[in-house]
Amino acid sequence: MPEVTQLEQRLVRLGNEIDWPVTPALEARVLVRIAPPVIVRRPWFQSRWALAAAALIVVLAALIAYAPSREAIAGWINVHTIFTRVNQLPTPSPQPSGPLGKRLGLGDPTTLAQAQSKVSWHILVPASLGRPDEVYVQFPPDGPPQGEVTLVYKSRPGLKTSGQTGVAVLITEANGKVDAQMFGKMLGPGTNLEDVTVNGHQGYWISGQPHVFFFIDANGNFRDETLRLATNTLLIDDNGTVIRIEGDLSKAQALEIASSLS
Amino acid sequence: MEGRPTDGELFTRAQRGNQAAYEEIVHRYQQVAFRMAYVITGSAADAEDAAQEGFVKAYRALATFRSGAEPRPWLLRIVANEARNRVRSAGRRHQLELRVAERFRPGDAAPSPEAAAVAAEDSKRLLGFVNELSDEDRLVITSRYLLELSGEETAAALAIPEGTVKSRLSRALARLRVRVEEGGGA
Repeated sequence: MPEVTQLEQRLVRLGNEIDWPVTPALEARVLVRIAPPVIVRRPWFQSRWALAAAALIVVLAALIAYAPSREAIAGWINVHTIFTRVNQLPTPSPQPSGPLGKRLGLGDPTTLAQAQSKVSWHILVPASLGRPDEVYVQFPPDGPPQGEVTLVYKSRPGLKTSGQTGVAVLITEANGKVDAQMFGKMLGPGTNLEDVTVNGHQGYWISGQPHVFFFIDANGNFRDETLRLATNTLLIDDNGTVIRIEGDLSKAQALEIASSLS
Repeated sequence: MEGRPTDGELFTRAQRGNQAAYEEIVHRYQQVAFRMAYVITGSAADAEDAAQEGFVKAYRALATFRSGAEPRPWLLRIVANEARNRVRSAGRRHQLELRVAERFRPGDAAPSPEAAAVAAEDSKRLLGFVNELSDEDRLVITSRYLLELSGEETAAALAIPEGTVKSRLSRALARLRVRVEEGGGA
């Protein structure tokens, strides 16, 4: 029946004219879900964080799977970070006792010069805060493949000491070549996410309620980089170096610190 | 030059544990999977959940995928199952109301803005008739034509045999045609 054929053709054309809801980017979220079976065989899994990490994976998987109105914000973005909106954050593991680096999982204490000799990128220091009070460096199995440097500012005039970390500002730098590693942030309902630009570099300002940080490395390992809750955070990508500035900071304070990085 | 891997090649790599290959599979199929789940559930949020869960379950079931089979219907069947589970557990289907995009281009055939406006009106009228069909008729027509699923994929989406797709489609088209003719064309 020719009429039917014509109608069928019209229906196929109609399919292209529909105002479909935007298709969500699912790749990163599916990868997070399918990664856990792989990590069981990895040596890092035998670390002291194993149990806590496994618990977080289970909670993460459950939240992503069953939170009924969760809202995923973005997949891959230029700061190599995946944001996942969840209804309820997992309970962070209690912080271990001991020195600051151990309590916050920052790695080994070192000096700026020594840290610089160990990593491939130029470590950026904010002129507005001056030299850091402490410097930590961390490599696998507890840090990302190319290492990670953390600058600690215990207190500075005009800056509050954070109730979450016990210090005024933490600046963490890691080399984040595309596909080399993937950071993740789980944001609760009271966490705000805003685009920002710092000295021409793309970034995100995460504020409000605390959020949880995790990452997946080049081998697909799910890493428990910080099981602590993070406070307000500015994330920027400086030509492949991912920089996190964390503390009880206002957006203006964080942006001022970021723009003084050199 | 090495060409783009076929779906079958990607499936074989994913079966060997290559997650990057599976990421590409998700990338290729997420739009059709999400839209199909949207048509089934009537809710974008449920469709998103169903598509994500379907891709995760399919990965875990990759060992059961028969080499040489068509990957697309296999994947869509898993996502469609997830979508139907959500409809069942909610106890009802959200009313699906498809709309014509305001800024769609009615095709290269439209010779003038006036003709384009007429074509847009025609599309809206035809979609109105589709929206008025029964759930069963609307699902089969939307899956087969608007989503351009194959007969096998439509059968997977609706969880019915492929032969039933044909008979259901022909009855649904006949009913739609009556509406179009009674409504003064589309």
